Amino acid sequence: MHAWLEGIGVIGPGLKGWRASQSVLAGTQPYFHEPVSVAASDWLPPAERRRTGTSVRLALAVGREACEHSGRVPRSLATVFTSSGGDGDNQHAICETLASDVRDLSPTRFHNSVHNAPAGYWGVATGAMESSTTLCAYDASFAAGLIEAMAWVAVERQPVLLVAYDTPYPEPLRSVRPIVAIFGVAFVLAPARTDRSIATLDVDVRPTVSKADLPEGLAALCEGVPAARSLPLLCALARALAAEVSIDYLDGMSVSAVIEPLRPTD
Amino acid sequence: MTTTAQSADESRLAALIVEALNLELAPQEVDPGAPLYRDGLGLDSIDILEIALVISKTYGVQLKADDADNARIFGSLRSLCDHVQQHRTK
Repeated sequence: MHAWLEGIGVIGPGLKGWRASQSVLAGTQPYFHEPVSVAASDWLPPAERRRTGTSVRLALAVGREACEHSGRVPRSLATVFTSSGGDGDNQHAICETLASDVRDLSPTRFHNSVHNAPAGYWGVATGAMESSTTLCAYDASFAAGLIEAMAWVAVERQPVLLVAYDTPYPEPLRSVRPIVAIFGVAFVLAPARTDRSIATLDVDVRPTVSKADLPEGLAALCEGVPAARSLPLLCALARALAAEVSIDYLDGMSVSAVIEPLRPTD
Repeated sequence: MTTTAQSADESRLAALIVEALNLELAPQEVDPGAPLYRDGLGLDSIDILEIALVISKTYGVQLKADDADNARIFGSLRSLCDHVQQHRTK
């Protein structure tokens, strides 16, 4: 499957946006794992803004960065959202309530508990009425989202925004499903070359042969957060050189992504 | 801008509401006579359910969705506070 990449967004520990992170991702500056916080989007009306948790804030922030990078109007884009587990803090709070003597559940917690909550908030924030898909595939969630977005571009011949995000669970869920940090990534993909195109992207599913060679510190992040399985692709894009990278998928399979830069990505 | 002074009970309830809803204002800014719903404090139906939950947990007062008196009870911070103080069990 083939697409043209037009915009990138990324937020994670030590990675505060695509432009600010390119030299680190390219390996020309050292990586430092620094906690990152994400503010609620000022695209949302006050009632929705104050209900957002980290996962919604993260998804909206990287989606917005990718859209602004591409120059596309956000509401004009179909969307694919993907996350392994959604909002870990919210799930913890709900489990805590259900395990207590008073089991009445916060309606706001319930409102935020559905897996496609960020897609809903994105629609409120941008006014987008285009098709939207939300999925999960455990550690393969990023690769599954990338395949879905590439398929959308190939079949519908329309641009799409892909947003992948994950947040850690508090204990005790953290012990059984360790996600080491928040991480979000977004791409705007299009079916044809435009003056916004920054690289071509070809994606295929293959047996895993080798792991990507990532800059020091980023390999642990890649392994520790499902959405950060995108780091081999992000690092290759930051280097702005033609490359083929392997992204973890399901059951010993990988997504092979071949990129060909068309111009500098900043 | 507060146009009417809050009583001590109203201040406690306002603080509870502001915290429960993560409102972007200080408890003392809630006008006790102004509507809570829509115009006024700008709350919506999810917020009203959230307030009912936190009042139940804090004061032991059950506020039911089908109570015909809800429009009056939730009419303002003052009317809600009066109702809670009259019916509280803790």
